[in-house]
Amino acid sequence: MSSQQQTVDELIRSDYEHGFVTAIESDTVPPGLNESVIRTISAKKNEPEWMLTLRLQAYQHWLTMEHPDWAHVQHPPIDFQAVSYYSAPKRKEDGPQSLDEVDPQLLDAYNKLGIPLEEQKALAGVAVDAVFDSVSVATTFRKNLADVGVIFCSMSEAVQEYPELVQKYLGTVVPYKDNFFACLNAAVFTDGTFVYIPEGVRCPMELSTYFRINEANTGQFERTLIIAEAGSHVSYLEGCTAPMRDENQLHAAVVELIVMDDAKIKYSTVQNWYPGDAEGRGGIYNFVTKRGDCRGARSHISWTQVETGSAITWKYPSCILRGDDSVGEFYSVAVTRGMQQADTGTKMIHLGRNTRSTIVSKGISAGRGQNTYRGLVRMTPRAENARNHSQCDSLLIGDRCGAHTFPYIEVRNPTAKVEHEATTSKIGDDQLFYCRQRGLSEEDAVSMIVNGFCKEVFNELPMEFAVEAQKLLNLTLEGAVG
Amino acid sequence: MSTTVEAQRAWFEQAIDQAQGDLPGQDLEWLQQTRAHARRAIGTLPVPNRKSEEWRYTAIEGLLKNSFQTPAGEADAARVLEAGGWLEPDYPAYRVMIVNGRCIADASQTAGLPEGATVGSLRTALATDPELLGTWFGQAAAHTDHLFTALNTALINDGIFLHLEPGVVLDRPVEVVYLSLGQEQAPLTQPRNLVVLENGASATLVERFIGPGDALYFHNGVTELALRDGAVLKHYRVQDESRNAYHLSSLYLTQDRNSLYQGTTLAFGGAWARTDYQAVFKEEGARCELGGLYTVGDRQLTDFHLDVRHNVPDCSSREQFKGILYGKGRGVFDGRILVEKQAQHSDAHLSNDNLLLTENGEIDTKPQLEIYADDVKCSHGTTVGQIDPQQMFYLRSRGIDADAARRMLCLGFAGEVIDAIEVPELREYASQRLVATLNQSIQAAE
Amino acid sequence: MLSIKNLHVSIEDKAILKGLNLEIAAGEVHAVMGPNGSGKSTLSHVLAGREGYEITDGEVLFNGEDLLSLEPEQRARLGIFLGMQYPVELPGVNNMTFMRESLNAVRRGRGEAELDAVAFMKRVREKAKLVELDDRLLKRSVNAGFSGGEKKRNEILQMAMLEPQLAILDETDSGLDIDALRVISGGVNALRSPDRSIILITHYQRLLDYIQPDFVHVLVDGRIVRSGDKQLALELEKKGYGWIEEEAAA
Ligand SMILES: Nc1ncnc2c1ncn2[C@@H]1O[C@H](COP(=O)(O)OP(=O)(O)OP(=O)(O)O)[C@@H](O)[C@H]1O
Ligand SMILES: [Mg+2]
Repeated sequence: MSSQQQTVDELIRSDYEHGFVTAIESDTVPPGLNESVIRTISAKKNEPEWMLTLRLQAYQHWLTMEHPDWAHVQHPPIDFQAVSYYSAPKRKEDGPQSLDEVDPQLLDAYNKLGIPLEEQKALAGVAVDAVFDSVSVATTFRKNLADVGVIFCSMSEAVQEYPELVQKYLGTVVPYKDNFFACLNAAVFTDGTFVYIPEGVRCPMELSTYFRINEANTGQFERTLIIAEAGSHVSYLEGCTAPMRDENQLHAAVVELIVMDDAKIKYSTVQNWYPGDAEGRGGIYNFVTKRGDCRGARSHISWTQVETGSAITWKYPSCILRGDDSVGEFYSVAVTRGMQQADTGTKMIHLGRNTRSTIVSKGISAGRGQNTYRGLVRMTPRAENARNHSQCDSLLIGDRCGAHTFPYIEVRNPTAKVEHEATTSKIGDDQLFYCRQRGLSEEDAVSMIVNGFCKEVFNELPMEFAVEAQKLLNLTLEGAVG
Repeated sequence: MSTTVEAQRAWFEQAIDQAQGDLPGQDLEWLQQTRAHARRAIGTLPVPNRKSEEWRYTAIEGLLKNSFQTPAGEADAARVLEAGGWLEPDYPAYRVMIVNGRCIADASQTAGLPEGATVGSLRTALATDPELLGTWFGQAAAHTDHLFTALNTALINDGIFLHLEPGVVLDRPVEVVYLSLGQEQAPLTQPRNLVVLENGASATLVERFIGPGDALYFHNGVTELALRDGAVLKHYRVQDESRNAYHLSSLYLTQDRNSLYQGTTLAFGGAWARTDYQAVFKEEGARCELGGLYTVGDRQLTDFHLDVRHNVPDCSSREQFKGILYGKGRGVFDGRILVEKQAQHSDAHLSNDNLLLTENGEIDTKPQLEIYADDVKCSHGTTVGQIDPQQMFYLRSRGIDADAARRMLCLGFAGEVIDAIEVPELREYASQRLVATLNQSIQAAE
Repeated sequence: MLSIKNLHVSIEDKAILKGLNLEIAAGEVHAVMGPNGSGKSTLSHVLAGREGYEITDGEVLFNGEDLLSLEPEQRARLGIFLGMQYPVELPGVNNMTFMRESLNAVRRGRGEAELDAVAFMKRVREKAKLVELDDRLLKRSVNAGFSGGEKKRNEILQMAMLEPQLAILDETDSGLDIDALRVISGGVNALRSPDRSIILITHYQRLLDYIQPDFVHVLVDGRIVRSGDKQLALELEKKGYGWIEEEAAA
């Protein structure tokens, strides 16, 4: 009994690894949001007129919108005027032409995070775009990728170099009117990653973006756009961390995926933003809109996320299954402890015939964490023979946390089939006993059982990430009796 | 936008103003106060719209387009009985007839009740038993946060009052028939019921909701149910309203230690029909079983909202609801299980299964778990689909024609819910009613 | 090796074991039989340290040490192994990983070096062959979706890996086909040694044809009411428990 309590108490603690601050000179726009700030951002990025127009349109609309209140999270009102909307490490006039020109302090920061940007040191087969506060500071392996026609660069560069592609696709999956935070993002986004995979190309390496918030009082508003042309294939990973600070910081990103006939995008996230301290001071507000459009027949989007960080997570990576026979998947592990709150899940909108979706969500609540699964499965009248299967399981560790499941299921086609199952429980006493009878300590037993609970999701991650995710989970659960 | 809201609010105000004439118990302070609170709530509560989570899939615009009027006085008993046929199925029971919201003594039959049992008109009880009523009344019903419950409460008039003294066990079911008769002015009928089972008491309560042909009316009933220690209530409800009827039942159940509630609702009729169930465990060891079957045909909307609250440890609940959709209609299911922090060892399982027989139907289902305690076993499962083609094939390969096979499989699907009804005649009636509906659906499909 | 004296155990105020005595010396095999619900599994759980049981009286010494004050994993590391009547499923936990963690934890407890991956694999393969456990089961989650017999084989495999001092096998023979029974008995017999003891809980004389016990005990209503040699099991097979219960009651 008592030892169990102890395990629980220990679980609630355990430290955040990535809480350091990099001392680097930054070019930061003073806090506040108005038209002139947006013009400044646009000018700093030397954007074409159409981009500025889009931003201003979004801003005007945003002014008419209200902060959403439906999520199962609580936080004091956000003062959008107290946020700085642009912060970039100072650098030479034209930006680095090669990694040699990247500020060594930055390289060092990424090294510390375990993301070496020097290509010779990099993980084999992974190209990285490193986003530091508001801007992309380096993108590796661009040359190798360009050889097969893959475009992998920062969004800022894409606007300059591939304006016709950006103009054609940006905002077509998540229009600026979509929701409050997406609208804000459309007005003020500063950078992000752009990926274009031409027809028939299997991207030869994993692409990844590593997001880092460094500066205080800044928001990070990045925008990611990935286009997979017919028959192409790409696996994309993103990771994120931030220093420990007492104030909350806002991260409001938008991710858009577009997948044509027979193409596939696999999008994996390991989110480890600073979660705040045990009393709930500080931490990132992670309000993200992620959506993929399966435009082509037999197109395929697979979202996998491991969410361990952030004070508040609010995100629903979704799939619009437009093309016939298209497939959407969502695999999620969300851990909340301390005072963390997560309201996350997915939407699967079945428009095409024979579309299929799978949802596997594993929520783990510890400490005083609140963990909510919220999902929508919609079968429209045209979605003949569409299928969905959802499994949402929650694990509670300790008696002060909460686990909530709010699925919405809307079916308008009799040939569609939807199955949804959800369970909530604590770790089984019999499972714990079984492991301990075989000699495992209680701590190891808990960690083993929790890892098992998440296995289905980890299996979906690319190898290097699966290892990282498992480490992260163990770290999160670390400190049990020993 | 605000002008429609104002117009909608006026609809409620008017419904209340128009019915002030005939309210009983004007001399009872608690009653007057309760009515006044409700009345005030009507002026301030938001009018539900698509953005209200509880009304997301259930539009009330259609309802508010009609104007309804509370009928004055009692209906003519002779006319009611003459119209006949209301008593099917017949089985030994204590009967109370409620017509357009008012009890009709001449059409009721409660002779032979055991000592300690009261079954009858609320209006009468307000005169004879005001203190007992005062202690229970309005304890559970959310008349200050549910607009339609407020409407009912502001106009409390009549309904049934069922009270069992400790240990009283009823030998026969109590059957209450709510008959709504169309009139020139579409009636607003608002029975208000109170059911209290004291310690160890036990009863079976059957409620049937009916109305002729295509009569237009709005039944807005509110029932408060209190089960004290060890009490057992089996509660069967058959909603068979007219094709054009609007029907809303709001039930507020509270359970004390080791009590058992078994409720089954069958929803067949109505153009727009909704059942709101709130069940609250107040003491440990109680169990609540809610079951439901709904069929949804053309131009029908059928909605079930469950709100089961585990506030104390060691209680269990089961919610099992099944829907068969066979026309251009909409089924809505929203089932929430809440387990509060202190409610350790809660055990709750909810399931909602739906069969879509034809195109154009829509089902919106939303099972929810909201859990703040860790030592719990909670789960839900939901399915939506058509009849399994393999099962169809199996039956047909044994020589059964497609219609019969479909009927058989639907009956099998609904069987679990219907079988929970322990009154054989009622169970039989429910099966037949379902078969009739299925036949209708098969015809519709042709 | 194991000495149980006047053990009283209850669950939620209901007395299950009511003064149980049992002495087991190194190298002995003891069979425990008795009607359903008499308390056999309770005894095995209490010895292994499962929560939820209240020890109201008595003591249990394991090699002179007070067993009842130890955590389950400490007992496991001292060499107590419980093969469960209903082995638990661990979804998502790889069987091989689990066994390796378990073995190394127990080895550390014994002050032995951990086995490296190669040595471990070699040992698993060898032992798996001994209990004729399909290789594929090693790669699956622990017991998840295993058939009844597969679970029991998996238990015996773990026992063979851990080489316990005292193995308690709770109805390891239930639900086994004839071949499996032979295999599992083989596994148990292979483990028999002068410094290892075994408690066999079983309902069937059949098992005792394969594993010859030194002693047979009959547990009725929380007490050992009769002890004898393997003849006693034969007698029980013929006559049932009725006569013993009557005698015990008298
Ligand atoms: N968790 C529990 N709560 C209440 N009673 C229990 C619990 N566990 C066991 N019991 C009761 O204790 C008694 C002994 O159970 P036990 O499992 O030890 O019997 P057994 O001898 O192993 O029976 P079998 O031969 O059927 O395996 C039984 O009456 C059982 O119902
Ligand atoms: Mg047993």
